[in-house]
Amino acid sequence: MKWFKQLKQLFSTKHDDSSTDPANLEDDRLDISEREHLVQSIRLEPSIEANLEALKKMIGPSWDIPIRPLLLGTHRVPAAVVIIEGFSDKNQVAELTQALTVELLNSPLRDTPAESLPEAIVGRLLQSSKIDYADTLDGLWRLLTGGNTVILVDGYNRAIGCSSEGAVYRAIEEPSSETVIRGPRDGFIESIAENMSLVRRRLRTPNLWSERFIVGSLTKTQVAMLYIKGLAHEELIEELRQRISRIRIDGILGAGQIEEFIEDQPASLFPLVFQTERPDRATSMLLEGRIAIMIDGTPFVLCVPTEFSMLLHAPDDYYEKVPSGTILGSLRYLAFWSSILIPGAYTATLTFHQELIPTELLIKIIASREGVPFPVAVEVFLMEFVFELLREAGLRLPKAIGSAVTIVGALILGDAAINAGLVSPPVVIVVALTALSSFSTPTYSFSLAARLSRFVFVILGAVLGLFGVQFGFLLLLMFLTSLRSFGYPYFSPFGPLILSNMKDVLYRTWWWDMIRRPFPVGSREPIRQPPGRKPRPGLEKEEVEKREARRSE
Amino acid sequence: MLFIIRSTVSIATLPVLTTGEAAQDAWASSLLVVPGTVLIVLLVGGLGIKFKEMTVVEYSAELLGRPLGAVVSSLFLLVFLHFAATDIRVYAEVLISGFTPKTPIPFIVGIVIALAVIASQLGIETIGRMADVLTPLFVLFIALGILGCLVTFDIQHLEPVLSRGSMPIISGALTPTALGAKYLTLAMLIPNTTKPSKALTYAVVSVLLSGVVLIAVATSAVAVLGADLSRNTVFPFFKALRSVRITQLIQRIEALAVISWGYGVFIDVSLLLYSGAKGLSQLLGLDDYRVLLLPLAVIWGFYAVESHDTLLELMHVYRPSTLIPFATVMVFVPYIVLWIAYLIRVRRSHGESG
Repeated sequence: MKWFKQLKQLFSTKHDDSSTDPANLEDDRLDISEREHLVQSIRLEPSIEANLEALKKMIGPSWDIPIRPLLLGTHRVPAAVVIIEGFSDKNQVAELTQALTVELLNSPLRDTPAESLPEAIVGRLLQSSKIDYADTLDGLWRLLTGGNTVILVDGYNRAIGCSSEGAVYRAIEEPSSETVIRGPRDGFIESIAENMSLVRRRLRTPNLWSERFIVGSLTKTQVAMLYIKGLAHEELIEELRQRISRIRIDGILGAGQIEEFIEDQPASLFPLVFQTERPDRATSMLLEGRIAIMIDGTPFVLCVPTEFSMLLHAPDDYYEKVPSGTILGSLRYLAFWSSILIPGAYTATLTFHQELIPTELLIKIIASREGVPFPVAVEVFLMEFVFELLREAGLRLPKAIGSAVTIVGALILGDAAINAGLVSPPVVIVVALTALSSFSTPTYSFSLAARLSRFVFVILGAVLGLFGVQFGFLLLLMFLTSLRSFGYPYFSPFGPLILSNMKDVLYRTWWWDMIRRPFPVGSREPIRQPPGRKPRPGLEKEEVEKREARRSE
Repeated sequence: MLFIIRSTVSIATLPVLTTGEAAQDAWASSLLVVPGTVLIVLLVGGLGIKFKEMTVVEYSAELLGRPLGAVVSSLFLLVFLHFAATDIRVYAEVLISGFTPKTPIPFIVGIVIALAVIASQLGIETIGRMADVLTPLFVLFIALGILGCLVTFDIQHLEPVLSRGSMPIISGALTPTALGAKYLTLAMLIPNTTKPSKALTYAVVSVLLSGVVLIAVATSAVAVLGADLSRNTVFPFFKALRSVRITQLIQRIEALAVISWGYGVFIDVSLLLYSGAKGLSQLLGLDDYRVLLLPLAVIWGFYAVESHDTLLELMHVYRPSTLIPFATVMVFVPYIVLWIAYLIRVRRSHGESG
């Protein structure tokens, strides 16, 4: 750490007290951290001229921050209205300005002396739902970026911020990464306030708490941590709070960055933090005692702690009937594991254990491999590689061309390769099967992990046969079972085996049967609902007795 | 977790061991194994839960004094070594004879041990969770295998029932019971469990469950192959599964058993390696057992490869005439000594207080 100290001395920031003078802001030699520090230490003064001067020096030539000077009341008190364009609603700002000028002159407040004017207009004139104050230059700036209209009045050393948020975001629409057939169609957007309200609308208890952090020394991104107070474990909340406040980076631009800062095992191929774009899923996570993390500027909400099984759930499972949900859910498990194992197993069987394949099938496969110049492993590798290439190309190209590339690539290339005798049809079937399987994995980052690990299995299968595939499988399982997400076992409820959680994992049971919250995340209050709520025909016994009693009266 | 260890060796070897003496009454032998093993579990685990915080290495030093305790502990460590090495070797032999005849034995042994080293490196928690994950798969595969056997089941092979008296049955049960000495790992694991007092119950339950598997495997092997054939085959259960052929499509289902056996051997060896390394580190007074894993693994690998030349020589280890004295000297006698020391101590402390 010695070198770090030296480095720090080399780039030492001049944090001496002489730098609270706003005039220093004009000094071009100031570096960014010095400027930031200076802005934080400048206090607002009673003189509006000094304040506006400091503000102008702070923002420099930026053109999107109009300052509108005003004269208030009959005493002509100098004042100013400041906003950032695009952060505030223009109509609201216009109304505010009107209130301060025309309405003030028409109201009985017009003769108020300068010293009591700020209190008077806040208390009796302004119609904003929320008023905030700031007494530093930095605080004033925070009001502005919060979408407030800031009013400065001469003789008053604080800035008045009237809420007038009106930033324009895209409309709430169905998230493209998680579509459902039956189920709500709204998705998170890039505004943290809007996202918060989407969750709050579904979870109307006052015990849905939300803590806000400002992360990123320059981007000053809002990060919010949502949990149900009393349901989420306090240690978990504490841990997450600590992990978020430990972040010291200059900029946060997306959920992926926060994810990297808070996950337990950075080297893991499998996602250790759950991402969703759907408010209903985020809400269901909260109801299980997990914590959601919202980041301003991204529609992805993170949920922790994460379990392996969460990543194989599709939102549809909960909106469809139980039997079909169960069957489709287990199909997905099968698909996930086959997307990892099938190419490796095919390579291994055809290279080492031909006797395991029924004779007739074997003859068919061998016949179709006639004339193929490569060993099975190379064939599989080649096709998998081409497939990955196609997928990547389809993803990167504009939507309109993307699908064309995929079709051209899949049809023409595949067909030509078979006709040219470079690959055998069974390999194409195997690769197509794996591709389909991996497409059925609901979480994208999760299917990515499966995609990549499958190449390892092909190599193992080609070198060691089925024994190698099993070796790889055990290694993978070992890795999965050793993972933890915020101290909670990742591969639960399989390892450790928690049978009571299986109700929502390998199969799904009816909602009236989900009596317990998942263990150990929801163990603070494990009971979700009283048992015996199965629907049954006829009236309840007490109800019948009550009716009869009423009738006899 | 312990259930799986127990079942592994049994699947492949038990039918030959039991049928050797008991022929068509293999199921009865298997039935006898259960109480015998429960006895071992009580012997080992009973003392273990008296010293909830300590492994057998620690409390044998406490009960018998350092030098004598060290002798007893090193006996136990040798047991871990011996069982792990023979298990790996048997697994390698099965794989080579059935699937990859050209693969050299050290190769397979090396890979299995490498897996065990990684698992032990990750800690006992991971081994336990792996056992949790693999046990259902293990049972599922065995059950599928037995289900396949049902087609070629010939109940006549099981007759005449108990015709040769009880002696062959008892002697047939001896070896698998002696293999129950593997429950010695219990003595190393109890301090790690969350509820030490319940460990004994779980262990007994695991014995009962594995008893069920044992009986099912033994019975199906005999019922498919017949008493004579199953006695003369080295791995009767595999042979039985291999003979299954349901239509053109379903055949060679012994792959199921080999896969599940692989899981079993993995858990088994990593647990034994963990116990060995942990025990040795405590014996030597080291803080962390992990430094010992690699050297131990190398020694175990060599032992597994070099100790026996052929499969037949290897199978000799499982004969009652070799295994029973081995288990007696290495496990039963030391444990009886430990129990006596413990009882004397309890008596003495009672005397002092009363």
